[in-house]
Amino acid sequence: MRKIFPAEELARDGRFIRQTNEQRMGDPRGARIAGGNSGDRLAKLTPELANGPDRARALMHGIFVGEIQALEGAGRTCWDFEVGEDVPLELKLDMARQCWDEARHCEISVALAEHMGTELGEYAENALLYEAACNPDPVLRLTGVNRALEGLAIDVFNTMKEFGNMAGDPVLEFCEDWMLADEVTHVKMGSDWLRRLTENDKERLDKALEFQKVVDRLFSFNGFRGEEDDSPIQLTRRFRELAGFSDDEIDEIADMSREARVEASS
Amino acid sequence: MTQVSVTPESFEMVFYDAAVIGEVVAEVAERLGFEETITLEIDERSPLGRSKITSYDPIELWVDGGALENTKRPRQFGTARARDTIGRLLLRILDRRSGRFNETPDDDELDLMQFAAWDVHCVGRLERLGIGGQRQRRLYQFRNRHGFSDVADAAFEQLWDSSELSWTEIERISGDCRTA
Amino acid sequence: MTETKRPREPFAPWDRRALPGLFDVDETAKRVGHYKWVELKLFEALGGWVATVPELDVKMRLGTHCYHHAWHADLFDKRLPELREMKTDRLTLPANDHMVAFIDAMTEPEEAAMTIEKLVGVYRVLIPHKIAAYTYHRNATSEITDMPTVRILDFILQDEFNDWREGEMLIQSMIETEEELDRAMIHQTKLEKLMLAAGGIAGPGSIGDPYVEIPEEN
Ligand SMILES: [Fe+2]
Ligand SMILES: [Fe+2]
Repeated sequence: MRKIFPAEELARDGRFIRQTNEQRMGDPRGARIAGGNSGDRLAKLTPELANGPDRARALMHGIFVGEIQALEGAGRTCWDFEVGEDVPLELKLDMARQCWDEARHCEISVALAEHMGTELGEYAENALLYEAACNPDPVLRLTGVNRALEGLAIDVFNTMKEFGNMAGDPVLEFCEDWMLADEVTHVKMGSDWLRRLTENDKERLDKALEFQKVVDRLFSFNGFRGEEDDSPIQLTRRFRELAGFSDDEIDEIADMSREARVEASS
Repeated sequence: MTQVSVTPESFEMVFYDAAVIGEVVAEVAERLGFEETITLEIDERSPLGRSKITSYDPIELWVDGGALENTKRPRQFGTARARDTIGRLLLRILDRRSGRFNETPDDDELDLMQFAAWDVHCVGRLERLGIGGQRQRRLYQFRNRHGFSDVADAAFEQLWDSSELSWTEIERISGDCRTA
Repeated sequence: MTETKRPREPFAPWDRRALPGLFDVDETAKRVGHYKWVELKLFEALGGWVATVPELDVKMRLGTHCYHHAWHADLFDKRLPELREMKTDRLTLPANDHMVAFIDAMTEPEEAAMTIEKLVGVYRVLIPHKIAAYTYHRNATSEITDMPTVRILDFILQDEFNDWREGEMLIQSMIETEEELDRAMIHQTKLEKLMLAAGGIAGPGSIGDPYVEIPEEN
């Protein structure tokens, strides 16, 4: 088995259809995000919207394929790097633990898809998350995946948890609550390893934070994730703090989203 | 054969074919017993899934491009999705023409609960005709509007399984969840 | 009132644990190091394969089992300093070159169509050999002096049995034709030969030696 397994070759059964980044970005109606398209002025995701339940369904399917890719990415980090030469054993142990967590998240997502009436593979899949997990530098990989993407997962899960709460859906709220707890742990793993592995390497730290920004920006179309009342996905300060983000870092993500929003509306 | 006029005639943002769409609409219309001309206007710029009846007589329908889209393959036409969208609209027209729906408020005056309840009754019938389906998806939508409870689930069953409810009956079944 | 001055045996009548064991501290450390190396190689491979298997249930099982073996590696890693090896990497070694060849061959399959080979390598060859070696160690070591290793092995064996059963059932569910059966058997034989050369996951003597020397006839 090769080291660094390309995103295009991620193995899926016939139910799943992959959408390439070119296709996704080339959609003149705006790239799909948060159960809608970034071209629309997406309102905050609540059950009160006429298409709220359907958007939640689509978003949940996005979460499901995201969980598969998170599982695959963490698994690859166990394989792609050598203990001692590239990474400490403890980092790999964390990644193996994450594999188990993400496998459970897949199981939870499958159950939720059934609950919400979604077929597996009902929506197109893009491999953006896994692509970040192909970075050949383990520090950059963990920063991009565990801090940027899993950080986004915190925001998404919290939004979904609130959606379940507002709709009085005990199943959705219960599931999101548990997944949220795991994701905070994963983001914290990213924060801890970033600090430990770059303790005496300012250059690598800067590179990793830059990569995190690139990934964060990729997921900031239209500022769909932000702190404004009508942001489709709400930025979650409390959980991000628990996961090792400083106030400045959270402010920076909020600013980035605001800028993306202004850019999109102009 | 039912005449269907689709606008626009050609698409820039999605890979749809007006002729194919016309055929699918005509097929659904014939299954439901329509013989008149149907006009369908598509807003291809919108990937959302909204749809509405802009005129009952003559029949004029309006949909977001997204309401006809194959969710597995963005920008591609989805036959099953289109059948579901068009089928629901046409059944509502049939219902209003039946005399059983004379007291139904105008479409824009219906609230989310009423819409969800009527939709369930439409899709249940469409499924039995082999046109639509996705029972669990409709149940999830219905629960979002009527509560995640046994009462709501029983109401859903009744709406889904019945073949010819009147508006008063739909209102009562939906309303019972409200009071419960 | 309980009579507190009445003497009792230090070992209760039902406690038949015996002091002697087959391994001294050095031998135990060496074996534990080999076990850790195997667990490490196994969890790395399971993690790596997740992205390469299209079957959703297999994908999720591999992800789950990946952590089980990582935890085993961690348990062995933590045991080593207690066995006088402070630099645990020094003993985290394959038993011999044949064992390296075995792992190389086991982890070679990558193609999406080779899930059967991947599963056979782990669940029909490696894990049964692990169960054998761990059981031997567990039963042959001193249950008094080396109880910390016994306890670790008991936890680990519980995982191994459960994972073996799940893996074996996945294999059985995937073999639907004679051709697939042949693929499984051929791959198993190939890997078993490498394992035979290695002498087991801890090298020759992984499960002891059951043969007796026949004394020369007069
Ligand atoms: Fe997750
Ligand atoms: Fe995660």
